[in-house]
Amino acid sequence: MAQAPAAAKPAKKGRRSEFSGMSRALVRRETISAYLFLLPSLIFFVGFVLVPMGICVVYSFLDMGINTSGTTFAGFQNYIEMAGDKVFWQSLRNTVVIVVVAVPAVTAFSLWVGSAIYPMHAAWRSFFRCVFYLPVVTGTVAVTVVWKWIFNPFTGLLNKILHTGTLDWLGNEKTAIWCIILILFTTSIGQPIVLYVAALGNVDKSLIEAAQVDGATKLQVFWKIKWPQIMPTTLYVLVITTINSFQCFALIQLLTSGGPNGSTSTLMYYIFDVAYKYQRFGYANAMGVILALIIAAFSALQFKAAKTGNE
Amino acid sequence: MKKFLALLLSMSMVFALAACGGGSTETPAPEGSAPADGGSGDAEVTRITLWTYPIGQWGGTDPQLDTIIAAFNEAHPEIEVSYELLDYTNGDTQVTSAIAASNTPDIIMEGPERLVSNWGANGLMVDLSDLWADTESDIAATSQAVVSACMGADGNYYEYPLCMTTHCMAINYEVFEQAGALQYIDEETRTWTTDGFVAAMEAVAASGLVSTPAIVYCGGQGGDQGTRALVNNLYSGTYTNADHTAYTANSPENVEALTLLQTLVNDGTISASASFQASDELQAFANQTCAVTFAWNASNKAAYASQAAFTPFAMAFPSDDGVPELCGGIWGFGIFDNGDAAKIEAAKTFIQFVCDDAVQGPESVRLTGFFPVRSSFGDVYAGTDQAEQMSEFQSLMPYLGDYYNVTGGWTEQRTEWFNMLQRILISGGDPQTEADAFVEASNANI
Repeated sequence: MAQAPAAAKPAKKGRRSEFSGMSRALVRRETISAYLFLLPSLIFFVGFVLVPMGICVVYSFLDMGINTSGTTFAGFQNYIEMAGDKVFWQSLRNTVVIVVVAVPAVTAFSLWVGSAIYPMHAAWRSFFRCVFYLPVVTGTVAVTVVWKWIFNPFTGLLNKILHTGTLDWLGNEKTAIWCIILILFTTSIGQPIVLYVAALGNVDKSLIEAAQVDGATKLQVFWKIKWPQIMPTTLYVLVITTINSFQCFALIQLLTSGGPNGSTSTLMYYIFDVAYKYQRFGYANAMGVILALIIAAFSALQFKAAKTGNE
Repeated sequence: MKKFLALLLSMSMVFALAACGGGSTETPAPEGSAPADGGSGDAEVTRITLWTYPIGQWGGTDPQLDTIIAAFNEAHPEIEVSYELLDYTNGDTQVTSAIAASNTPDIIMEGPERLVSNWGANGLMVDLSDLWADTESDIAATSQAVVSACMGADGNYYEYPLCMTTHCMAINYEVFEQAGALQYIDEETRTWTTDGFVAAMEAVAASGLVSTPAIVYCGGQGGDQGTRALVNNLYSGTYTNADHTAYTANSPENVEALTLLQTLVNDGTISASASFQASDELQAFANQTCAVTFAWNASNKAAYASQAAFTPFAMAFPSDDGVPELCGGIWGFGIFDNGDAAKIEAAKTFIQFVCDDAVQGPESVRLTGFFPVRSSFGDVYAGTDQAEQMSEFQSLMPYLGDYYNVTGGWTEQRTEWFNMLQRILISGGDPQTEADAFVEASNANI
């Protein structure tokens, strides 16, 4: 009869972990150490993320202005007001347009550029990565100053090139939001391109070679071999770009202030306006809660879609 | 050893966190500060903070706060003043954040629309009636409107004023001369009629000397006084009623003015832009893209004149009867009620010194680039190198109209005003309908 190995012997009850085989005391000590290492991050996470989120939810049920002594409980009044607030719905519509247009455009363009520059010589690859990353590291104010000059109706470069007279690109309800999306696009593609180039470098080359030997076309190699392997990067790019697009604020504030006639107002900008210009903190927090829920829903959908795609 | 290292690492992280988040009763690190001289002990020094918007050299690109505080400390070494410079883009956000965090400065320098109508009305400011006791008649002698503007609805004074000015417009003198448009202005009184304004705009447009004679800026929040004054003056309309309890921008006179502007924009005589803010229009004026600016005053002249290769000629806004009513600007100090009697007293001492001191008072006014609200100061620019420049703005002071900026819902109506201009001048909305919508929305916020 074969003798069972010593390691397979059941540990004495209450003395040893049934998984690691370590003594319970040792496991406890290691667990405490692990939590101690996590503690600083946890404190920051709780203090700067969870607690503010909780405060935001609580404040959303208050009628609260800068004179905090006059704060009263408003119940769902802020949420009811939101339902009938035309500016809120206009801002939400604009935000969704920005997300729906910008996110796929940024992802597809970044993937295309990443795929195009990946096979290049290292020097050229670095050059293009720098070129596309430049708008990311350039300050938003500097970027908007340049774009404002380009879009200037009287002296701007765009009207000179297109011979469009004095068309007010940022002052026209039909064109303003597309100008914002264009600028957002240029400032958003840098990081995804760098990520895609890195992700393509991690694709298993033996699989590609095997597919090529089997007669796969370039398109088949991309969709059947590369695409599944860079899916985690795609998911990250989608989620981050979605969140950034939802939170588009600085460009709006610096370029259009939400105008003309609210045609470029986003939820984030409207929340800021309500909180800091009109000093209605309760109402602004209620909108913040709704924005957070929308972003969470979009992100969950993306995770779900990416997971389904992987299967 | 491993346990010891783990504990050491954890403790260092916790201590670092505690150091980051630790509370302090000291004033936060200021942008600038001038410590009190005299070597007195720390316990005897009262520390106060001053936040100031860019009002001439009380902020801006060449602030002189250190000089002012040094002069103050010669007389009051027991008070240490630190300061922070705000701008009109983010200043309100910083102040609102400070209010929300109960971390407001002791003193703040701005106008009655913020100090009185907003923060004062919300019970955040200290009543400064005791400072006014000796100076009210002196200030009233210059303008009773200043006295009224600094007083809240509850009868308390929440602002102690230092200076004032009239907001006006300016023309490119050389362009007007070459276009033959000088005939439509009265150079001596710096006034013109509505008909003269229209004729001048047509003459400048026909000359082709600039891209467009004028740009009615409809974007942003600042510089609204320019477009308000333009609309109100064209047919002698009013912005609010006499007791500042309702907006009246939908009156027949104002609607007629809005209709005229819409016609001028539609036929291409002048332009309107929703992407242009006042600063953009001023820059376009300095670049000679347009021939007039609606956002002129002494401070803007100081900021933009050096860029202009022409003569900016200050003018009153055109009116049907040739008698303009200009919007005024008043700037002064308010004290946030932080509940510390010693700091409030020190803040009052500082304010009195910079506003009322026989030597520092006029110098404080000169640093703003505006005019004194105290009649006893007389002409503070006489004998200085600013005298000639300031004389043209001094000549516009008699046209100072009603100071209605203290009307309730002021912040909200500014947004509504620009939105209304956009709907009328950009989208072609009906002036009466849009003005009615503006008044309804603005009055709802009073």
